[in-house]
Amino acid sequence: MDARIRRPQRLALVAAAAAMALTACGGGLGSEADSSSGPVKIGLLVPQSGVYKSLGDDMKNGWELYLDQHDGQLGGREVDTVLADEGETADTGKSAADRLVKQEQVLAVTGVVSSATMNGVVDLFETGGVPLVGSNASPTTLTDAEYIWRTSYVNDEPGKALGAYVAENVDGPVYLLAADYQAGIDEVEGFKETFLEAGGEVADEVYTPFPTTTNFQPFLANLQKSGAEAVFTFYAGGAAVDFVKQYDAFGLAGKVDHYSAGFLTEGGVLDAQGAAAEGTFTAMNYNHDLDNETNQEFVQAYEEAYGMKPTTYAMASYDAAQVLDKAIESAGDDLTSETLNAAIGEVGEIDSPRGTWSFNDNGTPVQTWYLREVQAADGGMANVVVDELGELG
Amino acid sequence: MNPVLARRLVGAGVLVVLLALPWMINPYAISTVSRILVFALLAISVNLLTGVTGLPTLGQSAYFGVGAYTGAIVATTVTAVGPVQMLLAALAGAVAAAVTGPVAMRARGVAFLMITLAIGEIAYTAAGRLDPITHGTDGFSGIPPVVPLPGLPPLVIDGLVYYYVLAGFLLLYAVVAVLLRSPFGLALRGLRDNEARLRAVGYPTTAFALTIYCLTGALAGAAGSLWTSAQRFVAPGDMGFQVAALALLAVIIGGLGSMWGSCVGAALVVLTRDYLGGYVAGHGPLLLGILFVLVVYLLPRGLAGTSWRRGSGRSRSRQEART
Amino acid sequence: MLDWLDANLVSMVDGVAYGLLLFTLAVGLSLVFGMMDVLNLAHGTLYLLGAYAAYALSDGSWLGLLVAVVVGLLVGVAGGGLLAALTQPLASRGHLDQALLTLGIAFIAADVLAAVFGSEVLPTAPPNGLTGSASILGHNYPVYRLAFIGIAGALAALVYLLFERSSLGALVRATVADRDMVRAGGIDTRKVMFGVFAFGAALATLGGVLGAPILAPGPGVDETVLVLSLVVVVVGGLGSVPGALLGALLIGQVQTLGVALMPAYAPFLLFGAMLVVLAWRPDGLVSLVRRA
Repeated sequence: MDARIRRPQRLALVAAAAAMALTACGGGLGSEADSSSGPVKIGLLVPQSGVYKSLGDDMKNGWELYLDQHDGQLGGREVDTVLADEGETADTGKSAADRLVKQEQVLAVTGVVSSATMNGVVDLFETGGVPLVGSNASPTTLTDAEYIWRTSYVNDEPGKALGAYVAENVDGPVYLLAADYQAGIDEVEGFKETFLEAGGEVADEVYTPFPTTTNFQPFLANLQKSGAEAVFTFYAGGAAVDFVKQYDAFGLAGKVDHYSAGFLTEGGVLDAQGAAAEGTFTAMNYNHDLDNETNQEFVQAYEEAYGMKPTTYAMASYDAAQVLDKAIESAGDDLTSETLNAAIGEVGEIDSPRGTWSFNDNGTPVQTWYLREVQAADGGMANVVVDELGELG
Repeated sequence: MNPVLARRLVGAGVLVVLLALPWMINPYAISTVSRILVFALLAISVNLLTGVTGLPTLGQSAYFGVGAYTGAIVATTVTAVGPVQMLLAALAGAVAAAVTGPVAMRARGVAFLMITLAIGEIAYTAAGRLDPITHGTDGFSGIPPVVPLPGLPPLVIDGLVYYYVLAGFLLLYAVVAVLLRSPFGLALRGLRDNEARLRAVGYPTTAFALTIYCLTGALAGAAGSLWTSAQRFVAPGDMGFQVAALALLAVIIGGLGSMWGSCVGAALVVLTRDYLGGYVAGHGPLLLGILFVLVVYLLPRGLAGTSWRRGSGRSRSRQEART
Repeated sequence: MLDWLDANLVSMVDGVAYGLLLFTLAVGLSLVFGMMDVLNLAHGTLYLLGAYAAYALSDGSWLGLLVAVVVGLLVGVAGGGLLAALTQPLASRGHLDQALLTLGIAFIAADVLAAVFGSEVLPTAPPNGLTGSASILGHNYPVYRLAFIGIAGALAALVYLLFERSSLGALVRATVADRDMVRAGGIDTRKVMFGVFAFGAALATLGGVLGAPILAPGPGVDETVLVLSLVVVVVGGLGSVPGALLGALLIGQVQTLGVALMPAYAPFLLFGAMLVVLAWRPDGLVSLVRRA
């Protein structure tokens, strides 16, 4: 071995060691936040890249809108939002959450799109004593966490909300078709729970490989063969666009009633689906045309700021800011992660664009669910609330 | 200075830095280093197959995942003692490799690469579907903290977990180093350079290839259990195509055939994507792409160049004649 | 029998459409690999470029589609030439270095495209005459996919004739088989190789332009296309146009008819089929077609 090759070897090792030493400048262990005044750090953990980026953008918009409307303050304290990229996998999400809690030493964290990430970070927040006010992900198995709150829903609630309605309004067997990952399985399980209880009949239960399925034709062919009168589905993001378009192209729209969890037609995906989505029924905890004052103001402000109507993702994030606003204020001068968490438990009723709601013992909202239908509306398609599906939570 | 002495000094220096690290950096950074060490072990297992034996693979993440889930299952049902988890995980990895190896052994080069890709993808899909065992796509949580030796308290502090991972890393690194210096290790290099000739001289090349395949499966499995101990969470995403591809790329960057090169390559890939990527939220892959292009043109032989004792100066093209 | 056929006819037809799409994607990769021994992992990016061109330029009119096709072809040729030039210095360094480089390029390109076109999947509408559904034996089927079968079928026939029956094709096949002999015959093989790279890339981008209504552009689609192309190439056999066609049609059926018949095993079918073919014929399906 000649000496010329030695140098890159040494340099690389020195560079690696230097990089590690640099991270030490991020602060040693245990720097305490000023608990009575001064800015508070809140971590915003949302995807900034990958397939969930649009949800992350919506959640970021909702959060920032609330802060803008309150002069960048929550509970009378100046807020320093630390943005971290949740990425696409539980690994990247965990790593980002670790950075927020251990390096940035934030007071609380909000956001989280992926249920796998949420599962992965439960330990971090529970043992670290830092509250997580989640605004999207909500695995059904997360039932006794002290520091984890969700302002969105529980993953099986959209399905649960629809089950009884579909059993009463559809005369014949119903086919169940969902994306093959935990969220899809949870939605179908939730649907089956209330559907079977109300006397419904299931034609078949099929899961499509996720995220690799872009051609749904074989599954749609099987759906047609089954003779089902209606179908309950769960799809989100790009898969939702492909599914709805192909549902129409292969002749099922209008022949087999299509019921789904609201994500199928929420936000940008509806624009992409266009007229193909017409007549689809979905269940969601929010819609931009809900008739209450808070919502009208919210929708107007959101449209002015971002040029589009708000989605349930933005609304949940907006509510998370409100929760933290009220909790920080009531925690008063002695503001630590622990006291903040206790205060979150006492926030009571939240006056939200979706109506009023409050946390249950599980840390998830007790809220009303709405049935929406996709209809043509001023130059495009929109979800229109056509019925109420009752309260869950 | 005598090159061998220089190498030894650098090696000792690195060891000292690694031991002193928890006193120098914050808990988030130290947990990142733990993850880098585990990923480096995965890269070493890929290097053993690709760089040393000449079998390019995208399937090591499957055995890594098997080991990770085995470690999780053992930790939640049998014992929290780390070395036991590691042993069982290594065994599981070896068995998985033994079962799937013969399919791959029929091919060489790109066909071998694609078969290992298939193995990796099938394992990834299976992990997402076997809900009763793996807890499905939402991942396996609720794993208790690891106990380094029977009788010692469980490790909760990031710095202590790091020492456990470091111990595992050094142990496995030493084992592989010994293996590479053995006659078996030399035969593997012969496999890479000219399998037909080796077979003609009477070596049972297929048996050797299968053996190293199982050994690297065991190594990847052991690394998987260290991952579980460090993260206390396993999800199918920890064993997919992206992990396998990044491991292979880390080995290429580090220089095929070099163990320490694979480690530094692994560190570089993880730091680029996660640390630097943290500053340009959402553009981690862009930084990785730039890293790859720069390395290909500026470091034609990877970070390590040629680093095995015999046959130094051998060019990459000969080394890869059969990939 | 007739019942079974009636139930699955649409899936089989769709399998042909899908298979022909895969052929346009995979044939370029197969030729480049077989010919130049270059593993081009930026292949999926080429599809993405074509598909985004279709999204941006194809506004429903035939003229728009034509513009998209022309732009797609130009981008493909340019892309292919660029990739050939960038991989030239690595010619002797083996596949893994080429993988590193082309994957790096693919990552960079994917980031740029996501920055320009956003992070959502962008559905692309076919030209106005080809929207809507037709009826095959009483079953609805998108008109565009039927048209695509026609177009892609013609394209496949053209490529096949070009490579198997023309003297240019003979030259290319000779270069695949023995580069040095061809060079000894006085032909500049580098020009042949650049040409093949550009041609293969242009086919991939054209596949993107025409295939966008079926497989819409978005982040991650390049990875999907790359994996599919690699599987088809390996199943069909490297460097062979008939092999790529056979492999593509087989995989097309596996992904449509196969999934319809065995939906519970849907995620395993693609790689399962590949493993079965490789176990039976390690050199790919082309070894069935080729005389010894």
